[in-house]
Amino acid sequence: MDRQQEFVLRTIEERDIRFVRLWFTDVLGTLKSVAIAPAELEGAFAEGIGFDGSSIEGFVRVYESDMLAQPDPGTFQVLPWRGDTGGTARMFCDISTPDGSRSMADPRNVLQRALAKAADMGFTFYTHPEIEFYLLKPGWVPGTAPEPIDTSGYFDHTPHGSSADFRRAAITMLETMGISVEFSHHEAGPGQNEIDLRYADALSTADNVMTFRTVVKEVALEQGIYASFMPKVFAQHPGSGMHTHMSLFEGDTNAFHEPGAPYQLSKVGRQFIAGLLHHGAETAAVTNQWVNSYKRLWGGGEAPAHLTWGHNNRSALVRVPMYKPDKGQSTRVEVRSIDTACNPYLTYAVLLAAGLKGIEEGYELPQETEDDVWSLTDSERRAMGIRPLPASLSEAIEIMEDSELVAETLGEHVFDFFLRNKRAEWLDYRNQVTAFELERYLPSL
Amino acid sequence: MSSRAPESVPAGVARLGFTDPARANALLDDPALDGLAGTPDRIDAGGLAEALSRTADPDGALLGLVRVLESAAASGGVRGDLVDRLGRDATARRRLFAVLGASGALVDHLVAHPEHWRAATDAVPRDADDRRAALVAAVGDPGPVPPADALRVAYREQLLGIAALDLVADDASRVLPETAAALADLAAAALEAALVIARAEVGEAADTCRLAVVAMGKTGGRELNYVSDVDVIFVAEPADGVAENAALVVATDLATRLMRLCSASTPAGSLWQVDPALRPEGKNGPLVRTVASHRAYYERWAKTWEFQALLKARPVAGDAEVGAAYVDAVRPMVWQASARDNFVPDVQAMRRRVEDHIPKAEAERQIKLGPGGLRDVEFSVQLLQLVHGRADETLRSASTLEALEALSAGGYIGRDDAAVLEAAYRWLRALEHRVQLSRLRRTHLMPTSEQDLRRLGRALGLRRDPADSVQEQWRARRREVRRLHERIFYRPLLSAVARLSDQDVRLSPEAARARLSALGFRDPAGALRHLEALTSGVSRRAAIQRQLLPVMLQWFADEADPDTGLLAFRKISDELGATHWYLRLLRDEGSAAERLAHTLARSRYAGALLEQAPECVQFLADAEGMTPRPRAEVLRRMRSAAGRKDDPEAAVLAARTIRRSELFRVAVADLGGTITLPQLGAAMTDLTAALLETTLEVAHRAVCDRTGEEPLTALLVVGMGRLGGGEQGYGSDADVLFVHDPLPGADEQAAQHQAMEVVKLLIALLGRGGPDPRLDVDAGLRPEGKNGPLVRSLASYREYYARWSLVWEAQALLRATPVAGDPGVAERFTELVDSIRWPSGGLTPAQVREIRTLKARMESERLPRGADRKTHFKLGHGGLSDVEWVVQLLQLRWAHDRPELRTASTLGALEAAQRLGLVSDEHAAALAASWRLASTMRNASVLFRGKPSDAVPTYDRDADGVARILGLGTGGGQDLAEHYRRVARRARAAFEEEFYGA
Repeated sequence: MDRQQEFVLRTIEERDIRFVRLWFTDVLGTLKSVAIAPAELEGAFAEGIGFDGSSIEGFVRVYESDMLAQPDPGTFQVLPWRGDTGGTARMFCDISTPDGSRSMADPRNVLQRALAKAADMGFTFYTHPEIEFYLLKPGWVPGTAPEPIDTSGYFDHTPHGSSADFRRAAITMLETMGISVEFSHHEAGPGQNEIDLRYADALSTADNVMTFRTVVKEVALEQGIYASFMPKVFAQHPGSGMHTHMSLFEGDTNAFHEPGAPYQLSKVGRQFIAGLLHHGAETAAVTNQWVNSYKRLWGGGEAPAHLTWGHNNRSALVRVPMYKPDKGQSTRVEVRSIDTACNPYLTYAVLLAAGLKGIEEGYELPQETEDDVWSLTDSERRAMGIRPLPASLSEAIEIMEDSELVAETLGEHVFDFFLRNKRAEWLDYRNQVTAFELERYLPSL
Repeated sequence: MSSRAPESVPAGVARLGFTDPARANALLDDPALDGLAGTPDRIDAGGLAEALSRTADPDGALLGLVRVLESAAASGGVRGDLVDRLGRDATARRRLFAVLGASGALVDHLVAHPEHWRAATDAVPRDADDRRAALVAAVGDPGPVPPADALRVAYREQLLGIAALDLVADDASRVLPETAAALADLAAAALEAALVIARAEVGEAADTCRLAVVAMGKTGGRELNYVSDVDVIFVAEPADGVAENAALVVATDLATRLMRLCSASTPAGSLWQVDPALRPEGKNGPLVRTVASHRAYYERWAKTWEFQALLKARPVAGDAEVGAAYVDAVRPMVWQASARDNFVPDVQAMRRRVEDHIPKAEAERQIKLGPGGLRDVEFSVQLLQLVHGRADETLRSASTLEALEALSAGGYIGRDDAAVLEAAYRWLRALEHRVQLSRLRRTHLMPTSEQDLRRLGRALGLRRDPADSVQEQWRARRREVRRLHERIFYRPLLSAVARLSDQDVRLSPEAARARLSALGFRDPAGALRHLEALTSGVSRRAAIQRQLLPVMLQWFADEADPDTGLLAFRKISDELGATHWYLRLLRDEGSAAERLAHTLARSRYAGALLEQAPECVQFLADAEGMTPRPRAEVLRRMRSAAGRKDDPEAAVLAARTIRRSELFRVAVADLGGTITLPQLGAAMTDLTAALLETTLEVAHRAVCDRTGEEPLTALLVVGMGRLGGGEQGYGSDADVLFVHDPLPGADEQAAQHQAMEVVKLLIALLGRGGPDPRLDVDAGLRPEGKNGPLVRSLASYREYYARWSLVWEAQALLRATPVAGDPGVAERFTELVDSIRWPSGGLTPAQVREIRTLKARMESERLPRGADRKTHFKLGHGGLSDVEWVVQLLQLRWAHDRPELRTASTLGALEAAQRLGLVSDEHAAALAASWRLASTMRNASVLFRGKPSDAVPTYDRDADGVARILGLGTGGGQDLAEHYRRVARRARAAFEEEFYGA
């Protein structure tokens, strides 16, 4: 029993916690939860809690389905929405097999392995996500158009707006749970909001993203509205992305920062970006994992559909934000393709791996793109050597299949499961007859 | 009567040990020595020259004295007092001269600061507080020089005293602990003084943090060298009302300054490097952390070696409360380290690292790191502390010598071993001190020049041939340490079960179990029982075992399954203990014992063979014994063994006994990595073929004897599959076809009947339990499969293939190779099948489609229930079957006009296809890699588990064992599956393109 575990047990006693939820994430990024009574917790720390992994997406094959969830006491949090007395708390878990080794199927383990590789190279990986989502009126009926709760736009201040109330409530709850919020505002689409989390190491960030999604859904429920992280809800309005700022630190210094270099971006930083771009097409199936994700990427506007980088170029896949002269430590790159419905553990793992590969292999950074990529013609793009991201989930899967980098990063088990699952999703989608087809073809054919 | 002429002065000077008597004589006349060296007595007993000659380096001491006195003369009244004192006080003279003769660097200091002579002549032991107060006072009032210089001067003044007391001791190793402790206290004092300076530099802000300096390593253990890096960790807490971040910024500034103040070279020289690399996250981690941050790190991230380092943590400077809080926070964790998950593999890795990490060029001169060096002693002691300190608090000392004593008192190390080790350690440390003292340089290397060696020897009290003796003694101590280092861990385990010598305290059974667990034994109680059985009693056999076992235990512990290794060793020893050669072989034949231990703990398969045939231990004695024998030799021995028995069953058993020992030979060669996968396949195939040949002969003879018939037909056994390809592994069946050809004039019915009887008997004889692993003979690939007759005549085969032959049969025949029986029939059969397996014109498109469809159907149907498609060696994706089908399809299509493809070997055909450009280089490489890996893993699984396995082992321990046999190192577990799946995935991609067509 170490001190953190003791701290958890003590807090449970003092705060009168009646249930402890053990959280983990399946391969597709869905939060899973097992509730145990506080009395079982000591055993859970020592030996883990057994569960049947076969019913969890991507975890195991049926005949060896016993798995153990081992709570990480460092992630202990009381859940505010369950009331203060007799409440509920949660911890994230590491998943292991009965012989004690870490499960290769646990997305947290995938990220931890990628972080360990970075650590071997002397780096720690920090991320900072900007999470967009839509607030909709509840009670959507299949076959009808979803209705946003307001009609405001970017940065609009909406008096008496339920968006503002909502954001205040959500942020308060996040802060109660120890997740710092940097920034929040109304986004461009009606009912669309953005909340930015503060910089943290990638594992904490990924845990925080999982918590964030739950909190947002929970607060919406309390306020009688519905929150959605679907990448593209409205064809005519912007999709919801999860732009993520990334940086590598060597000890206490920002490895991306080099005073005097263009954009203060060090060689390491340039190679990291080169890695992201070089492997951008292979990693797309992970960063944008749904059929719907590609509707956002190719829907124009601020979503990047091409493997480019630029300084303050909002159509680029990787943006190097404006440098603030007094903040050398804040040099970072922003990856704009990621959408809010990704599995954050896997997403950060593959992007980190791509960036590190760039550093290892010393990739040359292609020329910066200053134009709005959307406004270029196909021939211009070809002449400038600008490659596109995959056009659909199907294409993304095909490219990922040949990726040694993604296979190595996810591990063979997750790699294989992920591809199988996504292929099946694509087949399901292909079997649909869509509203588009009916509207366009039925009247004339 | 003759009166002896008085000795001349130059001769006397030379006799006293001055190497340059003329120069010494001239120096003795130097006016600087006025009042000290009266001419007449310069060579007399008690005179100046004689006093100087007792030092390590009389010439150097004399020159030093002249320089110091010259300098003293220049600084006022110093010389008068000094000369007066030296003239009347023998102790003072001895001390000062000893320093002058041992350390050029301290001479230089005295020349610069002659007034410090009293530090040497009046030296007394001082405690830590006293030393600290003196240095802090010196930097508080630095006079005209910068405080950093004042620190250096005051530091050296105290160093003079420590060296003086050390150098005049009769036995340097006896006073070593006091000397080392004094040096550590002085270093601590210097850190404190440097911190005082740093705080003054920083100014008021310094008060916003409470910084503590925690010494690690030798400083922490109060066992420092004269010159060594001083290992530290910085801990800080914010002062009341200060934000943590702000306080840490200031603390980091202070720590950085402190380090620079100690290490920077100033006009007054430099002290030593302050090394903060033992901090959490090493060089990448923040320089200063709070107590809570340290604790969090050690709770979550720290590796075993970091706990080993924490053994020595001791707050020495700065805020005492913070330092104490730090030690309170981390110290308990040190003693829990041995309960951590990875303790055993970490310890094994640490041991290897210590042994591997010696720069080759210096290995022979290393006092510290080389084999038998100081590090060996320190490492052994610390490891034993970690293992046993959890239960026994008496072992929790930071000092190597104290811990050694406690280990001996507790029975954790044999008392004699401990005494020898302690003496060697003290001597080696004293040696290191003398080497460093000379120039006050951080070095752990033996000097090379004759002059330096001579001085070193004399400094250690070796007066006769000092240069040679010091080297000789050094080597002897090194050997001793090396020998003890190897057995110190293992020998006391025997004392827990057998009385080794009467003075020894016995290791308690609990402690023995803890140590065996730390070595990787999973059933320590069982292991102790085996040790007891092997070593108890007064027989010569038990006595030899007591010699052998400590080192054998180490070899067992190096492998994945030490328990099984020890158990097998016990069984074999029980069996062979009485034979005259067994123990002698292990004791005397160099590496035989080592090979045996590694083999047994690595491979249950080899262990089981050896338990059945213990005499095969002899193979281990020389390399020749571990080379697989050619087929002809094996066959000759099997034939002659079988020929000595009349009963067919007994005859085949005799042949199988030979197979058993030959299998052991092959397994040992394989485990030792002396044969390649193709060589292994050939050797295993040779054994099977020789046994089939012998058994066929025995069976044919037996059938004729029983029926009274003459031999009516010539028989042939054709190898199929891996047997035909010459690629058998440990777990392979023998896939065969039986063919016969009636002798001229014989009745065909009768011949067929006889052949059938022979084949049935052959299968029965080989299928019975026997001394060797059973050989399953499988004729399932014959025409019409299970419905067809077991054996057909050549004519029948010809007829069948002409009428019915299917593509899959042609495919199976690709690997058909006669392995036993009549050479004439073999020739005719081969001729018959060549036209089928290499059909002229290749395959028709319809046939190609048929093969592809067959394979696709097999993939969805054949995999056993519950098997994992990704890791099944044979039928899984990218597995053996995928590779073989690619190769075989190419052969069927192209071998008719590309003779290079006409081989039964999978790898051979694949290489040929690649050379011919029929398969891309990249695909060929991917396919070959997967085929090799699957074959090797399958073999390794049999070796480790003793039974075959169809898929990559998922159970951690099996995976670890297989990974080690594959040479992938320890901790293979999931990496093994990951590795296999990666290789197989690439092969699968290649297969899909090559086989199904892109």
